[in-house]
Order: sequence, then structure tokens, then C-alpha cells
Amino acid sequence: MAEILKIENLTKYFGGLCAVDDVSFSLAENVITGLIGPNGAGKTTLINMISGAIPPSHGRILFNGADVSGRKAYAVNNRGIARTFQVVRIFSKLTALENVLAGLVDRRQKGPWSLAFASLVRGVAKGSYNPENRRAAERLLDLVGIGGYRDELAGNLPYALTKRLEIARALATRPKVLLLDEPSSGLNPAELVDQIALIREIRKQGITILIIEHVMKVIMDISERLIVIHYGKKIADGKPEAVYTDPNVVEAYLGGESHAAR
Amino acid sequence: MSRQVRHLLGTVAVIAALLILPRVIQERYFLHVVVMAGIYSIMTMSWNLLAGYSGQLNLGHAAFFGIGAYTSALVAMKLGVSPWFGLLGGGVIAGFFGFLLGFPSLRLSGPYLAITTIGFAEILRLVAVNWVDLTRGSLGLSGIPLLTPIRVGGLKLEFYFERDYYYVVLAAVLFTYFCMRRFTDSEFGVSLQALRDDEQGAQSIGIHTSQYKLAVFTLSAFFAGIAGGLFAHFARLVSPDTMSLHVTFDTLTMTMIGGLGTTAGPILGAVLLSLLSEWLRTLEDFFKMDIRLVLYGILLILTIRFMHGGLVGVFQGLKERFSGYGRTRNGGADHG
Repeated sequence: MAEILKIENLTKYFGGLCAVDDVSFSLAENVITGLIGPNGAGKTTLINMISGAIPPSHGRILFNGADVSGRKAYAVNNRGIARTFQVVRIFSKLTALENVLAGLVDRRQKGPWSLAFASLVRGVAKGSYNPENRRAAERLLDLVGIGGYRDELAGNLPYALTKRLEIARALATRPKVLLLDEPSSGLNPAELVDQIALIREIRKQGITILIIEHVMKVIMDISERLIVIHYGKKIADGKPEAVYTDPNVVEAYLGGESHAAR
Repeated sequence: MSRQVRHLLGTVAVIAALLILPRVIQERYFLHVVVMAGIYSIMTMSWNLLAGYSGQLNLGHAAFFGIGAYTSALVAMKLGVSPWFGLLGGGVIAGFFGFLLGFPSLRLSGPYLAITTIGFAEILRLVAVNWVDLTRGSLGLSGIPLLTPIRVGGLKLEFYFERDYYYVVLAAVLFTYFCMRRFTDSEFGVSLQALRDDEQGAQSIGIHTSQYKLAVFTLSAFFAGIAGGLFAHFARLVSPDTMSLHVTFDTLTMTMIGGLGTTAGPILGAVLLSLLSEWLRTLEDFFKMDIRLVLYGILLILTIRFMHGGLVGVFQGLKERFSGYGRTRNGGADHG
């Protein structure tokens, strides 16, 4: 299987603290890869670097063979990597539909000036937005199961739904790789079942997924491969069942003898 | 009647009423106030695009107004350029300065950006005060030419009276309103609002936020510059006061009270407060002070405390209450 995303020796220092320490792995196309580790292990930092939110200190990120490390977040997204956030970053004063519409704009082709100009000269009879995009946005909202809230302000949605809205918004940018940062936090058991189905459905559309998750039920259920990091270092990588019983991983989560003795 | 037809009829009725207004009320003083309200409407609409839709707190908006006014006045007086081109030129030069002021916004936000923009306007005001050769300093430029007559076929339109300027300013207000409606109700507007609500979130979906900030600063300043040019040829006197902080704060107060981040709010606020402040002038003798500013302050505090959506938000809230369920867009956002 082709490697779509390759991480080489990725390292991030915050001052003297090494948050991510020489991590390397690659994502096979159209596979769901889980990324787990105890709190503060550096999972989100890793995703922040891949998505361009922060630049790496060392190392490279290759997307389809092209080096995207150190590029700005918008440029990374334009190339085909989308993400969601651990703490949602939705556009609270836009409606759910508009949140998704913002993602659907073809930003590889159109900058602010051409969009502003286009808004002035578009035909009077046409609606506010390209009807094709509008339908696509409605489909995406339906896909994540919040089609009934399309005209609700995103800021008024309950937390669980904003997490789904973020997924729809990320999908709207037509990504090849989707980075999900704890999409299941704060969901109840029934919602978890929907969430698992949704992530599987996204993969079916040919999207490669890297998912950070604390909810073990979700991660063991959907991951085809599991990567574990601890104190910024990769300590395990492989089939979920094998990783789950790996002594290093058990020690990281439950504490080794030295910790237990304290 | 379908919604669209009703909407169209409503628009036609409003425009017709605005067109015959100077025939109904011919008092020149009243028309003067209305023209000034129109000029302020362009200011509030342009400021609203920046502050309301893009979240960029620009407290130097008066600078763009002043740049437009001085440019338009000077090219007409010194170079003999037609004021009509001067108006446009004033907008373009103001837009250029807007582009420059956009750069600090790439690194600064909130109060830091606000302070920087105040400084920007204050520097330009001081330039206008001290560059006496060009601007006549604090005396200001006087005797700015009127708008030159236009020939349309056999018809000659002349611009002497408040009534004549009323139509020019009305056209400018309607044009600005049209542009703002289109800007905000489009993919462009959605992108601006995305960057306002969450900059990191906006970048994560591919929005080049820096480019959008520069674009919106430029566009906003362009319209403010046009407002300044109209003011110059209407008042025929431009002084450094046009760039002072109180012009910005009048703009801000009008926009906030009308409804920040709404399309109708800025016009509503500009017109209501302009009329109100003229009425308050009659009470000045009684209070022995400029009661206007006191009232502006109180209204602003009340707006911020009790009605985030301004007057437009209040109207929408009432409409929703009586129609059961309404679209929650731009509502009296009490969650803000």
C-alpha cells in the first residue's frame, strides 16, 4: 500500500521541554491509524505540527512525497490535509451550514480579492451561495448526522454536535488525510456507536485517517494500526491487539514497578 | 405574494420614499443633517465590515475619512482635478493606507491592534496639523470647490444646495450598502466571519487569514475615504479634526447601537444618532453642556450590557418571539 504521509524524525521543543522526540512513522493510504498515549505524551503537538499549526523543531513531514514541514496551516490544508481540534474551534456566530460552506470554498483557486469581486458581479437571481456548494454542505451535515440543525448558529449547538460539525467542516475541504484530535471526548455510549460508524464511512470515501483517542472502545474498534507515544517518544507501533498487550505500553499506562513503589 | 416579490416591493418603496424626501421636507437645515447622516452611514458600514464581520478592532477609522477628505479637496484645489475623480482618488489613497494599516493586524489583535490604530490616526492628524504648506494646519482647507455639474444628455445637473448633495450621498449610501450586502452575504463574507470567530479554525480549513485581513482593511478604508471626499465637497471645509478620535468613536457608537455585524444596523444607528444629536443641540442651553456625548456614552454602555445585537438584534428578537421560530442568524446574540 502506498504511503500518503511520511513523518521523519519529527521533534518539537518548547523551550527546554521536548514535547515530541524524534518520532517517525508513515501512514498507509486509506487506513485508519490510531494514535494513543497518556496525557501530555505529545499527541496533539504531533498533530499540530503535521497540520502546520506549529512548525517542527527538527524533522520532516512528507505528504505524497512533497515536503510540507514548516508550511502554514492554510497551505497544508490546501494541499489536502484537514484536521479537527481537541477543543472545538467552530465559527460560533455562523450557522452550521455556513461553517461547512466556509470549508467548501475552493481556496486553491480563489483568494480574497477574487471572492470579493465575484460577490459583486454575481447574478441577482442567484442565491447567496453557489447552489452546488449548498447542496454539498447539506449532504455533509447529513453525513455527520446534524442535518436538522443546518440553520442553527454553531455557537448554540450542544458540545457533542459541534464536534461533528467540525468533522463536516474538515471534510468540506476535500482532504486526502484527515487528522482527528479526540473526536469522541464527551460523547455518551449511544453517540459513540454513531461516531464509530461515521469514521468508518469517512474511510470508505477513500480518506486516510489519523485519530487521537482516549476512548479505548472506539480506538480498538476502528484502528487498523495503532501507534503509542509516551513522553514524546514512539514506544509501540503495529496491530492494535499486539500493541495493546505490549509490555512497554502497559507500563506507560499503568505505571511500571518504579512508579508503583512510590 | 412570494417572499421575493414582497422583498422587492419593500425595497422599491423604501427607495421611492428616500427619493421624494427632499421634495416633502424642504427645510435646508434638516436636509443638511440628513446628508451628514448619509456620510456617517458610509463610515459606519465600512467600519462594520472590519470590526463587525472580520473582528478587526480598528480605532483609526477617522484617518481614512480624513485622507479621503484631504486628497479629494487638495487635488481639486491644487491640481484642478474634477471633484468626481477626486472622490474616487480619495477612496483609492485611503484604501492604500488601509492596506498599510492591515499589516500590524497580521501580528496584533484585540486591544493591541486597537492601540496601534489609534496611534496611526493620531500620527496622520498631527501630519495634517503640522504640514502647513499643504494643509494650512489647524486652520484647515476652506473654499473647497463644489461638485461640478454633470451633463446627462440635454439635462444639466448642478450641485449647489443640500437637496442636490442629498441625491449624491444617497447614491453613495445605496452603492455602499449594495457592496456590503454582497461582500458579507457571500463566500467572501463567510471567510471573513470565519476568521473573526476563530482564526486558527479558519486557517485549518485553508483560509489565508493574512490576505483576508489586508483585503478587508483596504476595502473598508476605500469606502471611508469616499465618505471623507463627500464630506469635503459638501462641508467645503476640511480640518485636522476630521481625523480625530471622536469621529472614530461616533462611528463606533452608531454602529454598536444600530447593531454590530448586521447589514442594516450601521445605517440605522447613523441616522438615528445623527437626528438625535441635532435634537439634543436644542437642549444644550438648558443643560449648559454638551449633553450629546454624555448620552452617547450611556447608550453605548446600555447596548453593550443589554443588547449585543444592537437595535437590529432587538427587532429580530421581537420578530422571532411573535413568529414562534425564526432564523437565529444575527439575532440579539446574548451568548457573545
